Amino acid sequence: MVAFAVRRLGEMVGVLLAVSVLTFLVFNVIPAADPARSMAGKGATPQLVASITEEWGFDDPLPQQYLTMMEKIFSGDVISYQGQEDVVDRIVEGIPATFSLCIGAAAIWMFFGILFGYLSAVRAGGLLDKVLTILAVAGISVPVIWLATVLLNYLAYKTGLFPAQGYVGLTEDPLDWAYHLILPWFTVAVTLVGLYSRVLRSNMLDVMSEDYVRTARAKGLSERQVMTRHVLRNSLIPIVTLFGLDFGAMIGGSAILTEAIFGLNGVGLYAFESIENLDLPPIMAIVLFGAFFVVLFNALVDIAYAYLDPRVKLGSSAR
Amino acid sequence: MSGAPLISVRDLRVGFATEGGLVQAVDGVSFDLAPGEVLAIVGESGSGKSVTAQTIVGLTRSHNARIEGSVRLGDAELIGASESELRKVRGERIGMVFQDPMTSFNPVYRIGSQIAEAIRAHRPAVGRDEAHEQAIALLDSVGIPDAERRVDDYPHQFSGGMRQRAMIAMALAVEPEVLIADEPTTALDVTVQAQILALLERINRERRLATILITHDLGVVAEVADRVLVMHEGQIVERGSLDEVFYSPQDPYTRSLLGAVVRIDGAAPLRPPRTSEPLLEVTDLVKHYPVRRGLPRREVDRVRAVDGVSFSLRQGETLGLVGESGCGKSTLCRAALRLIEPSSGSVRFEGREIAGLSRREMRPLRREMQIVFQDPYASLNPRKRVGQIVGDPLKLQGEASGGELRRRVLELLDRVGLSREHYDRYPHEFSGGQRQRIGIARALAPRPKLIVADEPVSALDVSIRAQILDLLAELQEDFGLTYLFVAHDIGVVRHVSDRIAVMNAGRIVEEGPADRVCEQPSDPFTQKLLSAVPIPDPRQARARRQTVGSG
Repeated sequence: MVAFAVRRLGEMVGVLLAVSVLTFLVFNVIPAADPARSMAGKGATPQLVASITEEWGFDDPLPQQYLTMMEKIFSGDVISYQGQEDVVDRIVEGIPATFSLCIGAAAIWMFFGILFGYLSAVRAGGLLDKVLTILAVAGISVPVIWLATVLLNYLAYKTGLFPAQGYVGLTEDPLDWAYHLILPWFTVAVTLVGLYSRVLRSNMLDVMSEDYVRTARAKGLSERQVMTRHVLRNSLIPIVTLFGLDFGAMIGGSAILTEAIFGLNGVGLYAFESIENLDLPPIMAIVLFGAFFVVLFNALVDIAYAYLDPRVKLGSSAR
Repeated sequence: MSGAPLISVRDLRVGFATEGGLVQAVDGVSFDLAPGEVLAIVGESGSGKSVTAQTIVGLTRSHNARIEGSVRLGDAELIGASESELRKVRGERIGMVFQDPMTSFNPVYRIGSQIAEAIRAHRPAVGRDEAHEQAIALLDSVGIPDAERRVDDYPHQFSGGMRQRAMIAMALAVEPEVLIADEPTTALDVTVQAQILALLERINRERRLATILITHDLGVVAEVADRVLVMHEGQIVERGSLDEVFYSPQDPYTRSLLGAVVRIDGAAPLRPPRTSEPLLEVTDLVKHYPVRRGLPRREVDRVRAVDGVSFSLRQGETLGLVGESGCGKSTLCRAALRLIEPSSGSVRFEGREIAGLSRREMRPLRREMQIVFQDPYASLNPRKRVGQIVGDPLKLQGEASGGELRRRVLELLDRVGLSREHYDRYPHEFSGGQRQRIGIARALAPRPKLIVADEPVSALDVSIRAQILDLLAELQEDFGLTYLFVAHDIGVVRHVSDRIAVMNAGRIVEEGPADRVCEQPSDPFTQKLLSAVPIPDPRQARARRQTVGSG
């Protein structure tokens, strides 16, 4: 367990280092406007630009600039170029909205993904299976941006059933919080419900032909016990892997589009704005924030694996 | 036979609708079974014996199955009974033991909780703790040492024999009247098989169970059965007491089945002595796997898979390598062929040291040494056609291409008893025996000198087994091949080998001419191996049991 933790920590440092260096390089390679010039504003004197360049260290060698940036990010006093805000404050401000979106959506996609997958596996070949298959394929195929705009247009603007924009804190008004999030949750979850139900269905069909399922029947278990305790339980193991990856990626930035469309004031929206403005400090900080969650959830998946499948041992084998 | 039958099967027919039409798996089977009796159903795979057994408890029910006839358990009719009625029969009145104890347990639950689940499915009043206690007692009764502790193990922590014991314990959990054992020892080593058969016999005696034993191994039948049914293509072709079936078989199929058995006590075919130069010489070969733990990872122990083995193999000779699973025989083969890197020792092929050769230097030698694998299902690429599978080694070595390649492959197919039409088929279209022929053709393709056959027949039915062994012998004569023949079944090994080496725990414990090793074994391990082989002869089996006593 200790060896596992140490190895995972090492991996995390490596990933964060690689991701941050890459982001930093990409930003410095693209023909961006000189940050000093854009900070000085239109019609600024060359002296002003020079002094900003001097003050922010824009003419230091790149490695030096990178190190300064990382130091600032990890000490928490990193300032954005645009508007000179405290980046960490902005990220912390965005966390409730982003987490609300991701956790809520995750609950929905896991619940319906497993429910639909289970039902279509148990009724494989039947009418329910066919209907669910069509729904799942439709869900997987529909582009998020199209779904989001259609939902917004019909359910929010035209009929006014749901609020179109904004985020209300959970502690302020739990009902209003959920009311504002229903459309974004649905938008994020729909693709994954389709995907998870298909994956679970095929896992379950595979497991159903396992010898131990026959053993379970031969013991005299009821069909439902056979399906839930033996088939579903063993089929969920790969789903957990998928979930860990998807959830980490979701917090790490997959929800950017949804946050932007629904005007949820989360980390994703902040990332969206910062990229528009080519504002390096927040981009760097958000990329690290995202990478951290991706790596973290990967480690959690491994721990969950060892719990779900006793044949897997933490720290050993694997390679 | 004693008293009224407990189970009475009448004119049972089971058919499965497939794309190719109705496949009649069981075609009019009838038999009775009384308490305390052991009925063996013998047949090769596909004969319908397992389908018969599973149909009794309704496990073959599905939308494409057509089931007719009658199965009575006491007064109850089971064909057409509702699922909930059948559920009360399964486990409660009829316990089942399956072939492969590894895959028949759910890998994610503890052994004890799977047994407890069987108890609680029928005895809802039994609490969790009580069921756990009962599971311990059951495991203890089937001879699991330290059951109190082992009850919380997962299936993968048990050995194959212990898993099968636990499987039997689970089948007995609710004290059924009938035990159906479907190939209960096929996946086990011969010494473990003997223990499991003894256990089944003891349980049958103690509990007066009606036992149905399904097997393809006539040796197993001779050890434990009272009555025998021989099944072939869904029908019973022979029925009678053990002695009747073995000593005066009426049906030609039964006779061919008995004739095909490779017997440990039978005389091996006579072979001319080989005196030529050694082809393969292995000296002090060692393969250790380090066990690393801690941080930094330190080697704390090593698995001595092959621990100083020496042997030599002369041109045209067959050396049989026998041992139980895990004794290191497969590792030895792989290290000798340099498929894995030996830790130390020397391997000389045609007098040339190959232990230190680079991958590149090994390449031209690879064609000289080919391997035939155990599992004809898993060792052929399912997405390649037979022509490709057999032809690829030739193409890779740049030996032939185009029309020449096709001609050579067809010739090889012909040589191993397959036909020209098979060229464009996929492996799944073939039976196990045919697949092994494909594997042999593939190995023959580059015209090797040495063929390592790693358990080439242990996954095959007895009659197929004899055919494949004959084919190998024929090919040896024709091509002057040298075989290293690996198997856990000493009977099979004796049948084909000039000399036999017996391996145990990474070492060769005995080596010598095949007859000498089988008739006057000097090492206790060889003796144990020999005595555990079931003899397909009821009288001899009885005599042996009397001398050995009930173990």
